[in-house]
Amino acid sequence: MNRTLALSLKRVTLVLAIFAVWELVTGGFGLGIVLVVPAILARPSSALAEIVPYSQSGLLWRDLSTTLTESMVGLVFGMIGGCALGLLLGYWRRASEVVEPVLVSLNSLPRIAVAPILLPWLGLGIASKIALSLFTVFFVVFFNTYLGIRSVDPELVKAVQVMGGTRGDLARFVVLPSVFSWIFAALRTSVSFALTGAVVGEFVGASSGLGYRLSIAAGLLDTKRVYLILLILMVFAVTLVEIAKRLEGRLLRWRPQAALGG
Amino acid sequence: MSVSLERVGIRYRGGVDAVRDVSLAVAKGEFVAVLGPSGCGKSTILNAIAGLLDPEATELSGRILIDGAEARTRSRRELNLGYVFQRDALLPWQTIEQNVQVGLAIRGVHERERALRSRELLVMAGLAGFERYYPHQVSGGMRQRAALVRTLAYDPDVILMDEPFGALDAQNRMLLQSELLRIWELTPRTILFVTHDLAEAIVLAQRVVVMSRRPGTVKAVYDIALPYPRDAFALRGASEFVELEATIWNALRDEFRAPVEGGVAPLGPPAGPV
Repeated sequence: MNRTLALSLKRVTLVLAIFAVWELVTGGFGLGIVLVVPAILARPSSALAEIVPYSQSGLLWRDLSTTLTESMVGLVFGMIGGCALGLLLGYWRRASEVVEPVLVSLNSLPRIAVAPILLPWLGLGIASKIALSLFTVFFVVFFNTYLGIRSVDPELVKAVQVMGGTRGDLARFVVLPSVFSWIFAALRTSVSFALTGAVVGEFVGASSGLGYRLSIAAGLLDTKRVYLILLILMVFAVTLVEIAKRLEGRLLRWRPQAALGG
Repeated sequence: MSVSLERVGIRYRGGVDAVRDVSLAVAKGEFVAVLGPSGCGKSTILNAIAGLLDPEATELSGRILIDGAEARTRSRRELNLGYVFQRDALLPWQTIEQNVQVGLAIRGVHERERALRSRELLVMAGLAGFERYYPHQVSGGMRQRAALVRTLAYDPDVILMDEPFGALDAQNRMLLQSELLRIWELTPRTILFVTHDLAEAIVLAQRVVVMSRRPGTVKAVYDIALPYPRDAFALRGASEFVELEATIWNALRDEFRAPVEGGVAPLGPPAGPV
């Protein structure tokens, strides 16, 4: 049998096994073995069934689109901002020496800690969530851009200089491609950071979104819905990261496969 | 273009001399090899000619003239130099074809003309069919060939080569040597070829400049009176070649044998035809 097919089969089996055991210990399969009470751990079948009322109320789509919007807008602007500042400071060494400690301190701040101050500034709407998502992505991209500029291969620079390349040629042929390779290599991380930022922001205060719905359900001890939303978030995140991975492979086609890390 | 060095000295900040008092004249269209042990500053000389030394880390004395004018007073575009590095220095994010066209793109050559020129050169270098490959997808020999072709593409007046075949296996090295000979015999350009391989220097060059250990100085210059066209493979067995090799080897044995700073192992005597 084809090796990849066999591997996929094993993976699917593992996931099914986890769900089966979970179903079993929460009183599933009509066997009545309740090792963990539903108030703590919802039965997977009933959690999944919860999707019917959730989607029929129209809230599922609203929440999904809210969270998707927040994280994607945050991702895009975080990337643009991080890249711009990274390039600026990468080129402008003297300014970077001054600004670097500030950025490093800001970066060391746990992102969640910023959420409460964003609410009064930007309100309960999507703006505060976009800001948190942006803030989270920004630093990943900024540091990658900055490192990308600093780690440009000096021999490639020399090669282009000898050919008579101007500063513009250097940027076009060496610096920017090198920087972009660092940014794209961090695309997966950026995507999951963007999502984390959005969901955490919703936890702190929002009027819709998966994170908001999750925190409400948790407050009501509605474990069926909590687990359903967790599953949705997982599928959602896996899908986005998978898209990012494909995109990465596309954009970094020129790299040896080993460098892509799977 | 001709290249001449007049009493060139290069000192690193901190006082260590890389090269001292090097004078050397390379005529237009001449193929000169610079031979010396590792760390004798031969690459530093090439970097100085190309204006690639970091002015904050090195101090340059003497004069470097290209076609009689001081190199540092002219722009790189005017100098029109080619430089082939030991590591190929191809842009990893560009295909072989795009890499070959970089110099032309910098000079603003039209896309269609670039494509024609690179096509022609890639065929010549036996790289046809690999145009769309990225550097990491082809062998070291092919990468170095592409690097050579990239330099030829914009038709430089002087080509500086820094142990360009040093990282290749013996067979590829000889193949590339014969290709370089063929290219140079067809269109003689000024070539300054740095190597620590005596046989390579004799096979390729019209003159071999032997350098001493650091601080590098010119120890001796040998004319290689072997007629062109040369056959890189057959030449190694020829009696004239063997004689020349023995003569030069005797003269520079001491330079190679003495321990080098930084713990680089001294080279053994030449192994003869591989």
